Amino acid sequence: MHIFAMLFINGLAEGALIFLMAAGLSIILGLLGVVNFTHGTLFIWGGYVSIWVFGLSGNFFIALLAAIAAGILMGLIFERLFVRPVYGNVTAQILITLGLMTIFTDMVRLLWGPNPIPANRPDFIDGTWIWGSVIISQYRIFLIVIGVLVAIGINFLINRTRVGMIMRAGTQSPDMVQAMGINIKVYFSGVFAGGAALAALGGALYVPLVGSVWSGMGINNQILAFIVVILGGMGSFYGSAVGSIIIGLTVAMVSWFYPPLTVYSTVILLILVLSLKPEGLFGTAVRR
Amino acid sequence: MAALTNIISKNLTVKPVQALLLFLLLVILLIIPMISGMTTITLFSRIFILAIFGMSYDILRGFTGIINLGHALFFGGATYIAGILFNRVGPTLDVLLLAIITAFVLSAIIAYIMGQFAFRGTGFSGVIACAMITLAFGEIVRHTAETLRDYTQGADGLTFRIPEMFQDRFMMYYYALIFLIVMTIVLRQFVRSPTGRVLQAIRDNEQRARFLGYDTKKYKLIALVVAGMASASAGIMFALLTRFANTELLTVQSTLNALLYTIVGGTGTLYGAIIGTGFVQIAQNSLLELRGIHEIFSRWLIFFGAIYVLVVLYMPKGIIGAFYQLHASWQKRKKHG
Repeated sequence: MHIFAMLFINGLAEGALIFLMAAGLSIILGLLGVVNFTHGTLFIWGGYVSIWVFGLSGNFFIALLAAIAAGILMGLIFERLFVRPVYGNVTAQILITLGLMTIFTDMVRLLWGPNPIPANRPDFIDGTWIWGSVIISQYRIFLIVIGVLVAIGINFLINRTRVGMIMRAGTQSPDMVQAMGINIKVYFSGVFAGGAALAALGGALYVPLVGSVWSGMGINNQILAFIVVILGGMGSFYGSAVGSIIIGLTVAMVSWFYPPLTVYSTVILLILVLSLKPEGLFGTAVRR
Repeated sequence: MAALTNIISKNLTVKPVQALLLFLLLVILLIIPMISGMTTITLFSRIFILAIFGMSYDILRGFTGIINLGHALFFGGATYIAGILFNRVGPTLDVLLLAIITAFVLSAIIAYIMGQFAFRGTGFSGVIACAMITLAFGEIVRHTAETLRDYTQGADGLTFRIPEMFQDRFMMYYYALIFLIVMTIVLRQFVRSPTGRVLQAIRDNEQRARFLGYDTKKYKLIALVVAGMASASAGIMFALLTRFANTELLTVQSTLNALLYTIVGGTGTLYGAIIGTGFVQIAQNSLLELRGIHEIFSRWLIFFGAIYVLVVLYMPKGIIGAFYQLHASWQKRKKHG
């Protein structure tokens, strides 16, 4: 039994990390109708920036804030210069974000070198708790807490605030919102930057978990996030939350019992869900 | 001479002027290896082979409107199949034939399975789901190649010997050229066939094509199978040219290469892929030669991405599109005096 308790915690922690990426991806998809292939790149940048700032300042939270700031900045630049000209043209969006992915992934190799950089967990959450035979790393609990806080925060933002109301209205009909005298473009930029910030935060939190940062980690996690987004139903925030937990638990279980199958298990799960429910678990088919 | 161009133009439905130009181009391409060094010969052979990879992508992106982010699995997979068979069985022509058959059969099967999942949706979310699912398929194949170290040597890359017939670089150039010509004719006939017309109808308006009674998913599957097999054939030729396979061939980057070839040249034109491949490969080579001046020139991927973004934003129809635009405005000016 204790193994399952441990795997459950690991799975939730994994899910929390995936959720940080998938939530941003999903909200950007829902409101802007943009599929953002730079998400994995923002994840890498978050990781590298946090390591760099952690090295300079020695403070983990400053490092996280720096990663978030980097994400917001890059998100704003991407949205303004590259994504805005191609709103409504899905193919061009996919192509252009793939181009940005290529440039900024290689930029990381240019700035920080091609080899993985080792990273340590901050001291205050590096320990483990032991209950009987169950060993739980504090860092994983920390990840779960952050994931839950972010989920509650986003849920509050979307469902309880005026900003969220405008976002929801914008998802339904951006032109109408614009006609009501609200500059929806500002919200578009904001949502894109917010999603980018979540991805960067995810990267910054992922690095101490696995112990190193390298430029290939973006694509793996991006694919997991994509799987979550399709699994949960495109553009659905609840879908991405539930999907993250499902995928996180699957990855944790499979990588414990039969590691070679880990990469395949998520795709097999996706295929199973899609064959039973083509629009995803909470899907309402994104329009536009 | 005139008779020859006439025959060509009749059978391939090109205008006599075009046929003459094509003939001149062919003569130039036949002479090139005799007057240039080994580097140029290899570069051109590379362009010929990669152009087929690009064209196979054009069938998807340009003619059917599908974005397949796992397309490299057909190309790299075929290179690996050839390499593994040459290593395990022996570098003979029989094995080459076996490799071609294996690659064709496997890529057709994989394309079919991949399409079953990728083409579930239609419209906006269909395009996105397709891109994401094909990306996952591609990464799975890459991951498999990396873990099956016994067969693929993992990240180190797989070197292999090839049949003697293909070892001469000089002759390889001509084989690659013949391959390009044959495949261009085959793919051109495909896109001009009734099936190819339906694909273009799907690209322009999938809903309308469906309302007209076409089973669009079936046609998309056909496109993916044909494109997959075409790109597998390019993969086999690439194995004969480079005698080396590594997992780079299976990455998203490799798929993006094919995508870049088609969009630089011009999508939906088939020939655009050839021009695009030539442009990108020659640009890459010239940039690498500038490496001595500044280190930044060795970062090809940054330039790659920059070209990519600029083309998508400012030249969405590619070189051929720009040419037609110039041509059209020139004609207009001539007409209005």
